[in-house]
Amino acid sequence: MTPLLQIDDLVVDYASGGRTVRALDGAALTVEAGETVGVVGESGSGKSTLGSAIGGLLPGAAKVVSGAVRVDGDDVNSLRPTQLRALRRERLGYVFQEPIGSLDPTMRVGKQVELALRGRGTKADVLPHLERVRLRDPERVARSYPHQLSGGMAQRVAIALAMAGKPEILIADEPTAALDSQIREEVLGVIFSLAAESGTTILWLSHDLPAVAKRCSRVVVMYGGRVVESGSAGEVLAAPRHPYTAALVRAVPGELAEGERLVPIPGQPPVLDGPSEGCAFAPRCPDADDACAASRPPLVSVEQRDVLCHLAEETVGAGR
Amino acid sequence: MTGWRKADWLTRSGLVCLAVLVLVTVVGTVFGIGGDPDAMVGPRLAPPGGEFLLGTDELGRSMLPRLFEGIGTTLLLSTVAVLVTAVLATLLGVAAGYYGGWLGEVVLRLVEVLYSFPTIVLAILVAAVVGPGQTATMCSIVLITIPLMTRVVRAAAVTVSERDYVTSAVISGAGWPRILVRHLLPNLSGTIAVQGTYALSVGILVEGGLSFLGFGVQPPQSSLGALIQQGSTYLLTAPWLVIVPGIVLIVAVLAINVFGDGLRDGLEPREARSLV
Amino acid sequence: MRLFTWWLRRALSAVVTLFLVSILIFAASRLMPGGFAEVVLGPFATPEQKAEVAAKYGLDESIVVQYWLWLTTALTGDFGISMISGEPVTTEFGLRLPVTAQLTLFGVVAAILIGVPLGVLTAVRAGGRRGGAALGRLASGLGVSVPEFVLGSIVVFLFSRYALGLTVGGYVPFGEDPGGNLRSMLLPAAVLSVFVVAVTARTTRDAVLNVLVEPYITAAIARGESPGSIVVRHVLRNASIPVVTVLTTVTAYLLGGAVIIEYLFNLPGVGTYIVQAVGRRDYAVVQAGVLLAAVVFIVMNMLTDAAAGVLDPRFGSAAKGRKR
Repeated sequence: MTPLLQIDDLVVDYASGGRTVRALDGAALTVEAGETVGVVGESGSGKSTLGSAIGGLLPGAAKVVSGAVRVDGDDVNSLRPTQLRALRRERLGYVFQEPIGSLDPTMRVGKQVELALRGRGTKADVLPHLERVRLRDPERVARSYPHQLSGGMAQRVAIALAMAGKPEILIADEPTAALDSQIREEVLGVIFSLAAESGTTILWLSHDLPAVAKRCSRVVVMYGGRVVESGSAGEVLAAPRHPYTAALVRAVPGELAEGERLVPIPGQPPVLDGPSEGCAFAPRCPDADDACAASRPPLVSVEQRDVLCHLAEETVGAGR
Repeated sequence: MTGWRKADWLTRSGLVCLAVLVLVTVVGTVFGIGGDPDAMVGPRLAPPGGEFLLGTDELGRSMLPRLFEGIGTTLLLSTVAVLVTAVLATLLGVAAGYYGGWLGEVVLRLVEVLYSFPTIVLAILVAAVVGPGQTATMCSIVLITIPLMTRVVRAAAVTVSERDYVTSAVISGAGWPRILVRHLLPNLSGTIAVQGTYALSVGILVEGGLSFLGFGVQPPQSSLGALIQQGSTYLLTAPWLVIVPGIVLIVAVLAINVFGDGLRDGLEPREARSLV
Repeated sequence: MRLFTWWLRRALSAVVTLFLVSILIFAASRLMPGGFAEVVLGPFATPEQKAEVAAKYGLDESIVVQYWLWLTTALTGDFGISMISGEPVTTEFGLRLPVTAQLTLFGVVAAILIGVPLGVLTAVRAGGRRGGAALGRLASGLGVSVPEFVLGSIVVFLFSRYALGLTVGGYVPFGEDPGGNLRSMLLPAAVLSVFVVAVTARTTRDAVLNVLVEPYITAAIARGESPGSIVVRHVLRNASIPVVTVLTTVTAYLLGGAVIIEYLFNLPGVGTYIVQAVGRRDYAVVQAGVLLAAVVFIVMNMLTDAAAGVLDPRFGSAAKGRKR
């Protein structure tokens, strides 16, 4: 059976001002229908590029060098424009970081919802869609322009727009990063309950490992344009296999026992201009040896966990 | 030099065109290539080619040295005028954007008043008051280019002065000259450079238009506009008198505009996405 | 209410600007060397003759009194009489306005029908292919880099030699001979349009490019909207304010007189009239002409703001933070 989403060794370059930056360096990910997947990584890890690539939404400066993205077996990069639009309209939903910015400032909210419903509902369906995202006064919101809404309200509207077509996959790129901390949980609650209702698979891109682990069934960790660890949320958090994941866990406040130290990760995330020769994390890795810098780590599956690390097998059961 | 590598072919071509134009003019003028621009040396209205590379005008003057002198005059007048504009617009723009208050109000009002005059009419009024010639041309260019540049610099100064490092410099007691030189100017220089290139192209066009109407550079001095104006009388018999300086003028303005566009795109990159 | 006070302030500010403009115009017209008397009577006039002429036209009053008289009568719609023709200035301008209005109409229609679509098209295509962006930039730069007097001269040359059924010069009023009028106006209008269309296309292209990078456009693409729908529903309105601004500015400047075009094609329009009046020191005409041009410009500016208020729903709330 074909998986809902399959990303094979995807390599994406950005051309910026005469120089090339490699954003994805052979990222691989498979998602089955109904999963809730949290993709975790620092800015520059390639998670946003990965999210954009699924809908063929890469900006003009980006180029898919090799690899493939398949949704239900369809290769996104070889679809014709009309097919690509159909894919975006019928099977994918996107929620972005900037809530007010992702709504058209010159169009009333109700009209925007109506537009998103085109072919799937009428004007009468606008209010129910706004009610579904738990907006308190949907009639007033429908009459408003985006600049009259708060960030949280605008993001609920954006969710309503993205979920209007009951998509198979919802890609939420840092959906709460621009919101006040009190309303983050509410907005996430809306996303997850709506997705559960309509059987939508969630791909949540975030830099916040514990937040992701709390709500998602699976956690995928990205570093240097590759997926370095993937496994069930609880286990990844409790017993990370990849040294980077382990470092992330140690850098999280509140996940520590009393008396333990919060350890920041030394060094900077890499900016690649071509394929990394060895493991991209090697320069910052406390356990790295010569092999780590010299050859690219292979994918190792240990205990239902996929890890991209030379040392993965040695560390099994090491209780990191 | 990183700027050169980052620039696309169009921006580079613009810069190269401009450099070649300036170089040829300087070399031509310094070495007196083609002879004395004011000497009546040949037959009247001789077509290009042969002894007189670009032909001769109605008085039998060789066009090649007249063209060198014309480019030189036009570029020099416009450049000096735009430098004046840049200095004044920076001071006014910073005054309005950073200090604000009544000073800002006065500056903005001044700009709006100047803005309300149609450009060529403004230039002709200036020429009538000052008397036609180089001074009138430069004054006109300054008065025409200053409103837009002041507005843009002001807007940029407002943005920059809201940044944290300016606030902290103010709090730590830095005086205004220090804030201007250390914080405002470096952050405004890009904006000023872009506006400067656009102002330069406007300046060349104003020089041309004013000379074309007879209010600019006066004979026997030549400028691109004056050459075109003098040549237009003989358009039917000697079209090269208009076409050659016309093409040079177009190339110069185009090169400057294209370079300015490239400069702006380099400073504030916009990555448009394909709608498909 | 906030909007109302904003407009009140805006109108007051326009009046102050206009007042300053009028002072500047008056001062400039009196600072010109060589007075009207010299121009009319020639260099050999006796002081008595000059004094007589000056007294006849009120030029012997103090400059402040002259200004005040001019301003107060101008406010009643009386701009005095042309000292050259002896006709009221308003009559003189009335004769020339049709030419200028016709040129303006042609220019603005061309800007809307050609310039705006061209700008949208080149901007939308710029996102698609690499290298295509540079070509669009070249095209948009070329139009604004060709001065009217060069293009106009070449057009005059070509059409004087190969008439092609169009006439160069020899303006005929539309009322007398519509066909002849169009034949004589088509060429100047075309030359004028090149620049106007290029400026409009360039501004439109720039405005559309600025909108295309906005997150709501990405969001619309991500929802699978078609390019046509995105342009029509999201891009046009959001990019419209700079476009409206350039259109009103161009209209204002054209109404102030397309001096060079009129001069080249020998058209009796407002622009050439003002320029001639400057040369003849026909004060009343110069003052009225430039003042009216400034009034048109300021009114157009206010129309632009009104349009912005309609086009952008954020306008009212932005107005409170907008310091002027």
